[in-house]
Formats: sequence, C-alpha cells, structure tokens
Amino acid sequence: MSFINFATKEINCKIVYYGPGLSGKTVNIKWIYEHVRPENRGELVTLATETERTLFFDFVPIEISNVKGFKVRFHLYTTPGQIIYQASRKLILKGVDGIVFVADSQEERHDANLDTLDDMIENLKDYKMDIEKIPLVIQYNKRDLPNALPVDILRRDLNRWNRPDFEAIAIKGVGVLETFKEITKQVLRKLKE
Amino acid sequence: MLNITPEEDRELRKLLTELAKESKSKIVILIDKSGQLISRSESPAFSSDDITFASLTAGNVAASEALSKLLGDKDLNHMFTETEEEGIYMILLDGKYILVVIFDKDSSNLGIIRVKIKRFYPKVKELIERIEERTEKETTVSSDINVEEIDLDSLFE
Repeated sequence: MSFINFATKEINCKIVYYGPGLSGKTVNIKWIYEHVRPENRGELVTLATETERTLFFDFVPIEISNVKGFKVRFHLYTTPGQIIYQASRKLILKGVDGIVFVADSQEERHDANLDTLDDMIENLKDYKMDIEKIPLVIQYNKRDLPNALPVDILRRDLNRWNRPDFEAIAIKGVGVLETFKEITKQVLRKLKE
Repeated sequence: MLNITPEEDRELRKLLTELAKESKSKIVILIDKSGQLISRSESPAFSSDDITFASLTAGNVAASEALSKLLGDKDLNHMFTETEEEGIYMILLDGKYILVVIFDKDSSNLGIIRVKIKRFYPKVKELIERIEERTEKETTVSSDINVEEIDLDSLFE
C-alpha cells in the first residue's frame, strides 16, 4: 500500500521482486543497492540462509528527493524463490504496489517459471488484487547462458498480459536499471490515477 | 493508499510522543502491516534506522500471525521481543497497523507499557480511522506530485 505523508513530504511505495529460486531476484536488488548513491539508499537487509539463499526476504529502501520538494521512497523486497517458502512469499506480497517478475531464461527452469507465476497470481487473488491491474514488469534473466530459451517463447508463456518486459544479465547489471525504471514509472503513474 | 496531512501528522506524533513519555519508553512507532512507517514519537535519542526497523517488524508480525493461524488460532493480538537491554512490544491496531514500543528494561517494564497502551490505543485508533476515512473520500492525489519530473538517472553514480 502506498503511503503519502504531506507533512514530511514523503511518498512510500512497495515493489516486490518475485520469481523462481535462483532466478536472480536478490542479484537485481543488490546491483541497484551497489550502484545507487549512498545518500539515496538505506540499509540492505538480507534474511538468508548460510548458503545465501533467501530465507524470508531482502529489503532495501531507495530514495529520490527534490520532486517538487517531495521525497519518493521505493521499498524494494525480494521473495524467497524456493517452493517450500510459499507461505513466506505470500506474506511479502501484502500491500504491494508493483511487481517485477524475474524469470530464469534457462530451458530446464521454465517449468519453475510457470509454477511461480501461477503461485503469484493465486497469492494476489487472495489479497483481492488483479494481475491485470497491478503495475508489473517481466524480466527474462540469464540471457547469456547457452541453454537460454528464445525470448519469444518466454514472452508467450510468461507475459500473457503484454506488459513491458526486458532481457537481462543481472549479474553484470544488464537490464537491471531498465527494469527498475519501468516499474517505478508504472507505480507512480498508478498513484496519480 | 493512505495519505496524511501535516495537521494529522502533528496529532499522531503528539499522541505517540505522549505515550512514549508516559510509558518511559525510548520510542513509539506506528507502521502498517506492509512495512511502511506511518509515524513515530519525537525521540531524538533513538538513532536506529526507522525504515528498516518498520520493514523487519512487519515481517516479524506477519510471520507470527501466520504461525498462529497454522496453530488454528484466529488472530494474533500482540507480541513481545526481548533483547539483553531492551524490550520491543508490538500490538496490532485494527488488524491493519502495528504499534511498536521500544523500551529500556532499566527504565520501564512490560506491565507499565501495556497499561499505558490500553489508555492510548483507542485514541490512536480513532485518529487513524479518521485519516483513513478522509483518504478514501479523496479521489485524486495532490497535483503537487508530478510523476514526469522524477529523474531516476540522478539516483545512480
């Protein structure tokens, strides 16, 4: 749920990176964190296992000032991708203003993409949110791997709503910023509606 | 979406500051269940990162709530976390917000906190309901906010 404070002139929005395990959600927000000016970012919190798999969520607030004196703060969250963490994923979606679906382009992970997308749609339904109305960006990650499926196939199966989508190699920062810019634009536009 | 006017912000801060003073706690924070910080008491000595604190508290409460449902209980009402020196008391407000009180165990205790919250809870609830009602009636966000003016490139080095 977005929150605007006219006293402190702050706008707060929640963006969730959703996707199957190891698709690169944490890599996306870590890249953003590392490349944003220190004065524009808060602390990066990761609740992960010893092997760096996300256990509950990662969180980082990103702030932009001077929008007519307003400060916009995007709260970026990732969900745990592994199947067993279904319950945790649902909790993190609560009050979401925009979603980035990070898909793994590798052929052998395509079923996981589809399962996770179904899981996301179901979770949104439980919160009475319609996937067709919520700001959404699809990212096809790991484009540099030899076993990556053609984008056409990924698009056909995952982007059924014809939403903005981007190819990415998140580990090198390719496509990360474009994805982030697009989702923030959509979230702010929705706020104005 | 929820929005707060400067006047409402002052009222809310005043209430939370009074609660912090009376309960001899370090700080009182009001957050929503999705992890947004709504307001906090005037507590200059408290230096922790409020934004991160709000997000982690919401996650903590959400997980405990899911646990209580798993056990067949209907709702979680409140929870308490204790560190070596501090106590963190969290109480759900209207099922949508979380009131968090952080206190030094040397200067206050859970009993005092709960008694004081009992007195302030209806006041905070009434105020937040009023804010919600007004927000709902408003159809558009202030024209002060111009989406096109936001320069995301300036964020990055």
